[in-house]
Amino acid sequence: MKKLKKILAKVLEVKESSITDKTSSENVLSWDSFNTLMIISEIETVFNTKLTIQEAVNVKSVKDIKDILKNHGVVL
Amino acid sequence: MPDRDTIKNVISEAEPKTIGDYFLLDKKIEEIKKNQEIESESLFKIAILFSFTAKGIKEAINVECCKLGVIPEFFAGDYKQYAQDILNKNSELYRFKPNVVFFFIDIKSLFGENFFSPYQISNEERKRFVEEKIEEVKKLLQTLSKRTSAKIVFHNFEVPCHSPLGILESKEKFGFIESIEYLNSELRKFIKLNSPIFLFDYNSFSSRIGKDKILDHKMYYLADMKIGMEYLATLAKEYLSYIKPLLSLSKKCLVLDLDNTLWGGIIGEDGIEGIKLGPTSEGMPFWEFQKYILELFNRGVILAINSSNNPDDVLKALREHPYMILKENHFASMQINWNDKVSNIKKIAEEIGIDVSSMVFIDDSQVNRQIIKEALPEVTVVDMPEDSSLYLKTIMEIDDFNTFSLTVEDTKRGQMYSAQRERKKFQETSGNIDEYLKNLNTVVTFEKVNNFTIPRIAQLTQKTNQFNMTTKRYLDTEIKNFSENENYFVFSVKVEDKFGDNGITGTAVIEKQGKEWRIDIFLLSCRVIGRAIEKVMLARIIEQAKKEGVKTLIGEFIPTAKNSPAKDFYKDNGFKLAEKKEEFQKWNFELSVSNFNYPDFIKIKNEKA
Repeated sequence: MKKLKKILAKVLEVKESSITDKTSSENVLSWDSFNTLMIISEIETVFNTKLTIQEAVNVKSVKDIKDILKNHGVVL
Repeated sequence: MPDRDTIKNVISEAEPKTIGDYFLLDKKIEEIKKNQEIESESLFKIAILFSFTAKGIKEAINVECCKLGVIPEFFAGDYKQYAQDILNKNSELYRFKPNVVFFFIDIKSLFGENFFSPYQISNEERKRFVEEKIEEVKKLLQTLSKRTSAKIVFHNFEVPCHSPLGILESKEKFGFIESIEYLNSELRKFIKLNSPIFLFDYNSFSSRIGKDKILDHKMYYLADMKIGMEYLATLAKEYLSYIKPLLSLSKKCLVLDLDNTLWGGIIGEDGIEGIKLGPTSEGMPFWEFQKYILELFNRGVILAINSSNNPDDVLKALREHPYMILKENHFASMQINWNDKVSNIKKIAEEIGIDVSSMVFIDDSQVNRQIIKEALPEVTVVDMPEDSSLYLKTIMEIDDFNTFSLTVEDTKRGQMYSAQRERKKFQETSGNIDEYLKNLNTVVTFEKVNNFTIPRIAQLTQKTNQFNMTTKRYLDTEIKNFSENENYFVFSVKVEDKFGDNGITGTAVIEKQGKEWRIDIFLLSCRVIGRAIEKVMLARIIEQAKKEGVKTLIGEFIPTAKNSPAKDFYKDNGFKLAEKKEEFQKWNFELSVSNFNYPDFIKIKNEKA
């Protein structure tokens, strides 16, 4: 979770401590569509995996990301 | 400038790895820029015209430029608007006055449906279609180059790896793949003839990364990104090859270690028979490395040796080793001794007459590299790999020696420096400086600016740092404008002596303002400093000014970190200080009061002057 929080904090420019599963594009102003792509790109690099386009379009919240990574066998 | 330093400090420690890191640094840079209210005139202006979303590329270029100490300002047009930006002469692009334009149309945008369904049309139709596209692109490039004085970096097109025809593709009369190769080759021909336009070989760039990898299909469908985010920074770094020479940040001299750098092993221990160099598995990496360095020498890079060795061992190896490619006469300076490497580099700089900031240092020892990095941070130190089989690849990737033109002077530079060594020996045996200058039998040839000398004159303004009164940098196009303007008097001087031809090594640009003439540029290449050539040039200007009834000749001096050799020139030659404003000095020479003669020991020739 630490690595994931670090990515989100960097891209969204928020404090790591403020990030929870509920953090999403609904409640964080800086979480726009381009930053979603950047989060995906960072995740792919850091966790060495590739998301499918279906997964990518459904990324809206931290919980979504965690579910996807879990499906990819990434242990957070 | 403090603002530059603040940015440099923030950036120099950062090692951005992912595009997210670049975005973060980019934001920091923009914040500092905003807080410091840096004047827009002092910024380097980069325009990005892409046919697809360029998000991320600006950020990566910004960070990479700031690392070099260059603060850029950007114009990034909307990506569907590039044609309008170019064709509308009142567009924001032209108001922005870019120094460089990175212009990138990708093949999918250019071909449209014909990219995805190439065989819906016949070979003949395809030929016509491609010809139309070539004309379209040429027109954009022509318009762009007419309306800005910027260097234009145009990307060629990625040649696809797949065709719906599969193995039959190559049997088509004018196939899909061939049509894109044709497009590239026609545009290459066009660019060759248009000096402000440079080619970025994007097809080769994408091959190097891998055409299967460079497009991130998902990001392409999600956001029309045609280059994967992870490669945006790689692309930005490649752009530095075009930015460095524009800002005179190119390097001139390659300083080389010897043992385990130019050959394998240690000459002092292994002897001439023992070192590894030549057509064996272990000797080849060094052999080919030397061959490549010789190519750099031939394009005008100055070579020097900085080695801890006994000079006799080394000289024997350079002279007698059957596979030695680089010989004594290729090196402008050879520091082979047991002194420390830092003093040796300083000695090389002094001998050749260039600044250490113009040097690239290559040494296999990490310790030596670290010492140089710490003592002389302005020297570019190449991180050589442990494995000598990667030496060639490493040196091929150095982008510091780029120039926008290659002149006769560049290709002959090697010979000129060996003549310089002989000249030096001659000076040491001469009784005094006057006798030396007299016996050199110097001949100075004046030539009024013309199409043949324009590239060299522009190059001199871009590269000369020491004997340069104003250090104004001009592009070919600007010199051409001067040459066509009656109010400018521009000439170059060629310097020959009994040791050889130094080529065009001095130039002056004078603006005629009625009875007052202002010397805008007055410079001499470091190779010919201290030989009274500057007096000959001044005498020529004064002679011409008198002929045209001028009253006052105005000389300007703008001090820089490097031009102290020029600082007393006007003072010592009959000019009076007329004005001093901070860094700027204005000197007047009254033609009715003072006189100035040609030095009598130099022969003058005039060509078309």
